[in-house]
This record gives sequence, C-alpha cells and structure tokens, in this order.
Amino acid sequence: MPTTVTSIDPVTRLEGHLKIEVTIASDSGSQKVVDAKATGTMFRGLENILVGRPPDDAPDITQRICGVCPVSHGMAAVTALDKAAGLQAPDNARIMRNLVLGANYIQSHILHFYHLAVQDFIDGPNMPPWQPSWSTDKRVDKATTDVLVGHYVTALDMRRMAHEMGALFGGRLPHPPAFVPGGFTNSVRPDRISSFQSYLGVLIPFIQNTYIPDVEALASYYPDYYNVGGGTGNLMAFGVFDLDASGANKLLRSGRVQNASTAQQTMDPNQITEQVAYSWYANSTNNLKPSSGQTTPQFPKTNAYSWLKAPRYQNAPYEVGPLARMWVNGDYSRGISVLDRHLARAQETLKVALALQTWVAQLDPSAPVYKQYSTPEEGSAFGLTEAPRGALGHWVRINNHKIANYQVVTPTCWNASPMDNAGVHGPLEQAVIGTTVLNAAEPVEVLRVIHSYDPCLACAVHVMRPKEGVRVFALGAVPGA
Amino acid sequence: MRISRRDFFTYCKNSSAALALGTTQLGLLQKALAATTGPTVLWLQGAACSGCSVSFLNRIAPSAPATAADVLMQTVNLAYHPALMGATGELAVAQAKRAYDNGGYILVVEGGVPTAFGGNTCLAWTVQGKDTTFQQAVLDYSARASQVIAVGTCASYGGVAAAAPNPTGVKGVSAVSLKNTLNIPGCPPHPDWIVWAIAHLLTNSVGPLDCSNRPIGLYGQSIHQNCWRLAAYQANQHATAYGQDNLCLFDLGCHGPQTQAACPSTGWNNMANWCVDANATCLGCTSPAFPFAALRRTTNANNGD
Repeated sequence: MPTTVTSIDPVTRLEGHLKIEVTIASDSGSQKVVDAKATGTMFRGLENILVGRPPDDAPDITQRICGVCPVSHGMAAVTALDKAAGLQAPDNARIMRNLVLGANYIQSHILHFYHLAVQDFIDGPNMPPWQPSWSTDKRVDKATTDVLVGHYVTALDMRRMAHEMGALFGGRLPHPPAFVPGGFTNSVRPDRISSFQSYLGVLIPFIQNTYIPDVEALASYYPDYYNVGGGTGNLMAFGVFDLDASGANKLLRSGRVQNASTAQQTMDPNQITEQVAYSWYANSTNNLKPSSGQTTPQFPKTNAYSWLKAPRYQNAPYEVGPLARMWVNGDYSRGISVLDRHLARAQETLKVALALQTWVAQLDPSAPVYKQYSTPEEGSAFGLTEAPRGALGHWVRINNHKIANYQVVTPTCWNASPMDNAGVHGPLEQAVIGTTVLNAAEPVEVLRVIHSYDPCLACAVHVMRPKEGVRVFALGAVPGA
Repeated sequence: MRISRRDFFTYCKNSSAALALGTTQLGLLQKALAATTGPTVLWLQGAACSGCSVSFLNRIAPSAPATAADVLMQTVNLAYHPALMGATGELAVAQAKRAYDNGGYILVVEGGVPTAFGGNTCLAWTVQGKDTTFQQAVLDYSARASQVIAVGTCASYGGVAAAAPNPTGVKGVSAVSLKNTLNIPGCPPHPDWIVWAIAHLLTNSVGPLDCSNRPIGLYGQSIHQNCWRLAAYQANQHATAYGQDNLCLFDLGCHGPQTQAACPSTGWNNMANWCVDANATCLGCTSPAFPFAALRRTTNANNGD
C-alpha cells in the first residue's frame, strides 16, 4: 500500500507537550490514517515532589500541574484531604468551591473553542502569531470568517472576565489560593456576590447568543465532521459540582457507557488501573490501582513511547470530557465525533453558567466557610472531580502527618493515553486512526480530531512509512513508495 | 480591531504609575514603537503548566490597548508561541528558526529547564526526525537573543518542578544558559509585570536588579510593607483560622514578610481580589525558594501541634 509521509511537530494550540506519530496510507486515490501513537513529551514528577510534604500543600502544588485547569486539581485535592480527615466542609465552602470551578469551566471552554480550536477551520488575522498557517480545507466564507475573528477578540475579554469572576471568591486566577482542606479561606461578602452576578449578566448572553451559535455555524460548514473522530465509543464521567454536603447529588453525575449506547453503568473507582507497558515507567509499577500507584521513571525503555501512563477501566479505554459528562447525564446523545465534542462543550458551558446563577444566591454571609482542619496521623482517601477536559482523580495516603503517596490521573491521560498492556490504543489514537486526509503535507484533519478532545498537552504528529517501519520526518508531501 | 502603537503609548502613559515609566522612558518607548514592525518575540514553553501564558491573557488596562490581543496585534511581533500560533509542525518551528537566523529577538521562556535523563523529559520539537530537547532549545535560542526574559518562577529559578527531590533536574533559564536574564517570577506572574518587562526592555530602562535578577522597580518592596492589613499586624490583630476578614494572616503562616512582589498595588484579575484579601496567606510565589519545604502552616491532629 503506497504511503505519503509528512510530519507535524509541534502541534500547536494545546496546553503542554504531546507528540503523535501517524501512519498515512494511500489507497484508491484517498489517503487515510492507519496507525497513530500519542506521546506525552513532558514529565515533571509532581507526584514524587508531594511525598514527604504536609498534606495541606497538595491543593497548591497540584494546581501547578495545569495553568488552564488548576481549580479542578485544587478541588480534587481538598476533596481527598477532607475525606482523609473525616470532615465535611461547610455549605458555604462547597458552594464557593463550585463557583470558582464553574467560572474556570467557562474561561477554559471559551478559550478552547475560540483561541485553540477554531483556527483549524478558519484563517486568523493576517499577522503573527496567527499567520502563516495551513490553508487546506478552509471552507468558511469571508464574511463569516471576519465575524469569527472578531469574536476571537471578544472571547478573549469574556474568558478574562470569567477569571475575574472566579477570583472574587478564589483570590486570584490562575492558581487560586483559597482551596484548603476544611473549607475555603474566603469569607462570603455581599459585594462579591453582586459582582459575581454582574459578570454572569455579561457571560450568559455571550454563551447563548455568540458561543453556541458560532459552534453551530461552524458545524454547518463542516457537517462531515459529525462522522470524523469517533474514537472508542466508551464514555466515562466521575461527576462534578456537588449539590449537597454528602456529594451524592451532582450537577453532572458520575457513570459510564460503552460502545456509544445510552445504557448507563455505574463507575466504580476501584476498577481503575494504570498500565505502563508502553510508558517510560518501570514495569514493576504496571497495572497498579491509583491508590497504590507508583511513578518510577525509566528512560529509555524498550517499546515505550510516552510519559503518560495508560489508565484503563476494567482494562478498557474510556473517553472523558464534556461530551462524556453531558452524555452520561442524559443531556446529549446526538453522536460521538469532532463536532459533537464542540457542541456538547458549548452546551455544557451554558448549563454550568446558569447553575452558577442559582448557587451564588445560596451563599449565606452569616454562616461559616471553614471547619478547623487537622492533618490526621494516617489515612488514605481519593477525590474525584471533573476538569473542563474530563474526569480527574487524586489518590492520597498519609503517614505520620505527611504525604506517603500521591497519585493523579488526569483527563488527558485517559484521552491521549498510549497503548495498554493488551496493545489497545488510547481513545485519541483510535479517533485519529481512520481519518481521511486531503493533503498529506497539511493533515489538518488530524489536528481537528486532536483539538476536539481539548488535550492538555502540546502535540507533535509524525507520520511513518508503515511497511518499512522507518520513521521519516520531512515536511512536505513525499510521494509514496 | 487594530490598535495603534500610539494607543499602546497612551496606555503606558496613563498607567505609568503601575508601570513606573518616567517621562524620558515614555519618549523612548514612543520611539521604539514607531518602527513599522514591532520587535520580534519568541515565547518558548518548557517544564511549565501554561499558567504564565493564561495569566498574560488576563491583561486589562485602563485605556487602549486594553488587552493581550491588542499587545499581540500592534506592540510586538510574536513569531512563536506554541499555545497561540496558527502555524503548526515544521511551519511553526520555521518561524522560530527564521528569527534565530536574523538574531536580535526577545526570547521569553516560560517553564523550567529539565536537565536529567539527558533533557529528554521535555521536548521542544522534532524536525526531520531529530528531537530537540527543551534544554537544547534554550541553549541555542538564548545565544542569539538580544534579551532573555524568564517569565514565571519556574523559568526564573526552577519553581515547583524543581522542588525536592527535583525528579527531572529542573533548573532556571539563566542557570542553564549562563546568559543575562531578566527574571519576572510569580506563580503565575501578574500580566502587568510581564508587560512591564517588555516595555522596559524596549526602552532600555529596566534599571537595577536585585541579587535574584528581579527588577527592583517591580520587586523592590515586600508584600508585607504594602499589605492592606499592615495596620492589623501593627495592632496585633491576628487571624486564628481561615475565613476571618481584615485580620493579619501572620499566625497562619503568611509568607508576605519575606516575599518581594507588587501584589498589594497591582491586585489580581482587574483588582477583583488578591490572595490576602481572600484571607489566604501569601504563598511566597515570587521567591527563588518557592515552593519551600512547606507552603502553609499546618495543624496536626493528636499531637496538639
């Protein structure tokens, strides 16, 4: 089978570092991706840095995993630490945590669509950093493109205001300092409640009248992308935004489905393991549950190609993210594709924004925000939540008042995971495989699939000759053998 | 949406208190910005979380150009930024390489530089099958830069990723490049501090640096001495737990007295708040030793500590 070779490295407009190797084959005049390998190309070992530190440091240290979704790490950490200490944070704290998390959902989703993803479909302003760029398959007419470019600038203001809104309670963004075990540092000041409401008064109309219609307009130019980038069909959510002190009721519930069905199944965190057969970690740490997981780097390592571990649920890969959340919650069921991910994300933005309006009115300035927290001598617990880009879990073990073990399983580990012990590809790899490519020199279709997951990584895509097994990294189309 | 350089000048003039630009500097800035194309800036990301870039996008000023978009559109020629640029793959790397060939660009580095495992725990890019580690990219690109700005505490001193046991051997930019580097620490830094650095480099008016290579004009005063709650400290009115308004946070482990930063005057997120006004202790995030051995004063169960 003739092949065409090209390379993309780095794939831009993502958070962080990820490389994907793609094999494109030419058959009967059309070109298709036949293999893909996702490679996380950055490892910092923050889990190992946490060992030996006081547990109180976990919310602040883990927020530095990601500057786009720090609040989710703060939330997961305080949830785990509250449980380990056997305490329940006051209602005001639960609500303020939700308000800051929700504000960051809004900023992250808007940033993703307008500033990271949309340039795969339209040309940005005619100057750096937006140009030069690839020109393949840009279908949107000039008038609509101009509108979307204008909205790019408006959306920068909107996401900034979402951060300002979150900072009213969180202290600042990114990396809010107000998430502490036992509750929240900030008090409930009435002037901040009304200021929060004023921001929502700007953001909600933007989401309703601009963001959602823009996604729908883009979809009308690219309807074929309802059939591109399906992935595994397995969707999972840990659930997020506790509606009561016990966390039993959530705005977006936990659960999972298999093979794109709507048949709900429960999600039991005990069924999660992390596999490292193809990851740069010691095989002695393979297939451990996160509660007893270890992070022991080994580089180089035969067959390994990523710094990401491969989390699996009962050995199966699962897609996580807004589409999975909305699907599991019964709010979205149109399909699983590039466009469905964008649409579900936009609709979720509105759902969260409207919920914030309700919650901010539930704050009680006369009630406590904090319950005295003391680090237990020992204990273990986990905190499950959802980052804007999908399910997030922190597992902590405390010994002698210090962190003895800490494991973080991020959404991008689920979505961009390398192959597992059985050699089964991760969801993003599966979604890229089978994608038809118009111009192998500019495989923008691959970018669109990658960006639809909103991965928290910077990517590199390589294309290799399948039969020779020799990776060739040259820009520009090279006629196939 | 084009914003003129004149507007940028107006912004700098109107917010000259925060930016601490004198009349002479304003004149120089106007001259620097009169060029038809702005100075070329390359922004590299290493062992980072992108929080510095996200913070930069939060920029808002009292007059035009009010936002990060305005700075990008008319103030600088941002030839490379992995999270923002339209180009991808080798087309993206080619933009950096063109600037490299010309030399004389401003290099902005976000994130620390991993040196363990041969630098392979962080790659900058791969071209023609050859991986370039971030460490190598920093060495190469700092050599031909006219100025290097380390944005954030990781790029300045290693930051969170360099905390014990520093699993990937992370160092700050200048510790690797051995070149003069302007450090703008903060985890993340305030957007105005980043703009301060660019504006003062363009006007050659950065002024003296402290022993940690931070500009004294920006980091010359401690959080504590300008703290909104200094009066409470002086009156011995101390918070005993989180959630108590207007009280000094010293007894909760506030790092404000040892931390050099302008937070009390710049505030955060368009003055929506800042750490201390949220009753959260200063974590000392602009300090070379951040994140220390512990970030907060802790209370242990059982031992009465």
